[in-house]
Amino acid sequence: MGRHVVVAGVNLEIEEAGQGRPLLFLHPGEGLQPTHPWLNRLGQHHRVIAPHHPGWGGSALPDWIGTVDDLAYLYLDLAAELGLEEAVLAGSSFGGWIAAEIAVRNTSRFAGLLLADPLGIKVGGVLDRDIADMHAIPRAAFMRLAWADPAKGEIDTTKLPDTELAGIARGREALAVFGWKPYMHNPRLKRWLHRIDIPTHLIWGEQDGIVSMTYGEAWKAEIPGARMETIPAAGHFPHWEQPDAFAARVRAFTELL
Amino acid sequence: MRTWYFSEMAYHPAWDKGLARGSLRVNFPNENVDPREAGTLLNRYLDEFALCDEVGLDIMVNEHHSTATCMTVSVPMALAVIARETKKARLLSLGNPIANRPDPVRVAEEMAWLDCLSGGRVEMGLVKGAPYEIAPANSNPGRLMRRYWEAHDLILKALSTTTGPFSWEGEFFQYRAVNIWPRPIQQPTPPVWMTGMSVDTGIAAAEKGHVVGTLLSGGLAKPMYDAYRKRARELGWEAGPDRMAYAAIVGVGHTREEGLRRADIIADYVRTAPVVAEPFTNPPGYNSIGANVAMLRAGPRAHRMVTDRNGVPIDHRTATVQQFMDTDTVFAGTPDDVFEQLKAFNARMGGVGHLLFFGQGGHLSHQDAKENIRLFGTEIAPRLRELGVPEQAAAE
Repeated sequence: MGRHVVVAGVNLEIEEAGQGRPLLFLHPGEGLQPTHPWLNRLGQHHRVIAPHHPGWGGSALPDWIGTVDDLAYLYLDLAAELGLEEAVLAGSSFGGWIAAEIAVRNTSRFAGLLLADPLGIKVGGVLDRDIADMHAIPRAAFMRLAWADPAKGEIDTTKLPDTELAGIARGREALAVFGWKPYMHNPRLKRWLHRIDIPTHLIWGEQDGIVSMTYGEAWKAEIPGARMETIPAAGHFPHWEQPDAFAARVRAFTELL
Repeated sequence: MRTWYFSEMAYHPAWDKGLARGSLRVNFPNENVDPREAGTLLNRYLDEFALCDEVGLDIMVNEHHSTATCMTVSVPMALAVIARETKKARLLSLGNPIANRPDPVRVAEEMAWLDCLSGGRVEMGLVKGAPYEIAPANSNPGRLMRRYWEAHDLILKALSTTTGPFSWEGEFFQYRAVNIWPRPIQQPTPPVWMTGMSVDTGIAAAEKGHVVGTLLSGGLAKPMYDAYRKRARELGWEAGPDRMAYAAIVGVGHTREEGLRRADIIADYVRTAPVVAEPFTNPPGYNSIGANVAMLRAGPRAHRMVTDRNGVPIDHRTATVQQFMDTDTVFAGTPDDVFEQLKAFNARMGGVGHLLFFGQGGHLSHQDAKENIRLFGTEIAPRLRELGVPEQAAAE
């Protein structure tokens, strides 16, 4: 259980770990899952601040919040509330989309942007599916697309307490609220990525079946000076699947900032 | 008890292929439909609807999308045809899936137009729609019911406002000049119906005074009706049977065997309707958090079941006619049998004013379907009309 902060009237639950340069980590649609080891690995060199998005974990989802724009402004307010300076803005998958929406608006509190397998932009034509339709395939098929080794990501929901199951159900509904249509992207975001004026690093799981490395190249092409590196034996969630390799790459990027 | 005949106008020739693929909906490619055969079937089904008017039955039409189980893609379109072919039958749209409709004002326009065309015979169901309707409509399952209620309020205001235009700046819908032409004959609006399977739906419908309908499970219907009646009483009025509706398969024959045979064929609809690829059965947000917790706890292999009157679970996909009769999904036999079964059901439910008579599942032949309708209309419906509040419920 993290501590609670009220930002713009929204009660947010925040997980924190470690010391060092602040790193605001925005989680994927699957949730924060703070018991996973990646949070502490990142905390070895950073003061990690990882909010549960509104509707996930213990964070409230007020009726008036319903778009990724809202989340971007909310987290800009959170960064101000926490007094973050020279921080790293990091996001995975859906969280990467939010991070990019923040970065095209205001980077004054951030020294660098780190995007891991982000969703959020439209690259191909009307008949091209840039982002796999995670809601049109069985859970097992989703796991095969999202993980290099699906067994690593399995969660046996029949053994979890009801409070955690309710958290999973709430998070799934919230992801639909924010990302159902257009599906997991903002058709206009790509045109504004040129506004990102801080060093940007893209990390991609080499076996990501949700968004391909080609999609990652499109991100790289739109953000001035962006660099991209890949992690072997990782799918859509490299921070979960390869926490050591992920933390090492984050460290290598932030050391240069 | 009034009787409303309905049929989903199934495209049953493709069922075997769909069953083999494990999905009759959403991701079952339409190369499996022969459009000319579809046209022949649609004409046949519409003839069956038209016959209802002759034998004194009312008519209900529903819609589904992207499925071999139901070819009706638009309730207003089907009712427009039926309105022209009938004179007396009341015409129930059950209904417009308004949380999946991008344009609620269009829904109001269509209902008003139908009400004019039919001489004020329209009854208007505003429904949430089944979970597998989310994908074909690509409507957001998150906050679905908030969108439903905004659409509901806008539709009723559009139908009942005579001094427009008015503007609407809501969370989901925005208009600057709502002023529908023509307006409905029935003022302020045609009677409104809702559907559901939960106590919460019963309470919500009671607060609006709408008719509430449910289908195929007496075990789920009773708590919903009770919740409706209780809420109405709290609000200072008595909800009579005319507020409660129930959809069931009915097979009638000159002999019990003939009635059961017809019911068994129609019941194939219930055996196929739930067969849909798993991801489309529970889009996130469609069901409550509590319902999702129960599903997650049960794990991926648990089937959704209903229970019979003794609490025994029944799988709709494989149930026999007898099992369906035990869950109040099917009523079948001679006219006397069916009347007695419905009379007992009415008593168990505390009074149900509307029977939605599911009388064509697809494989039932045109002759059988017509005979089923005729027997029901002439032998059962007149006796059901005399059936009111059951004595036991009235005494409570």
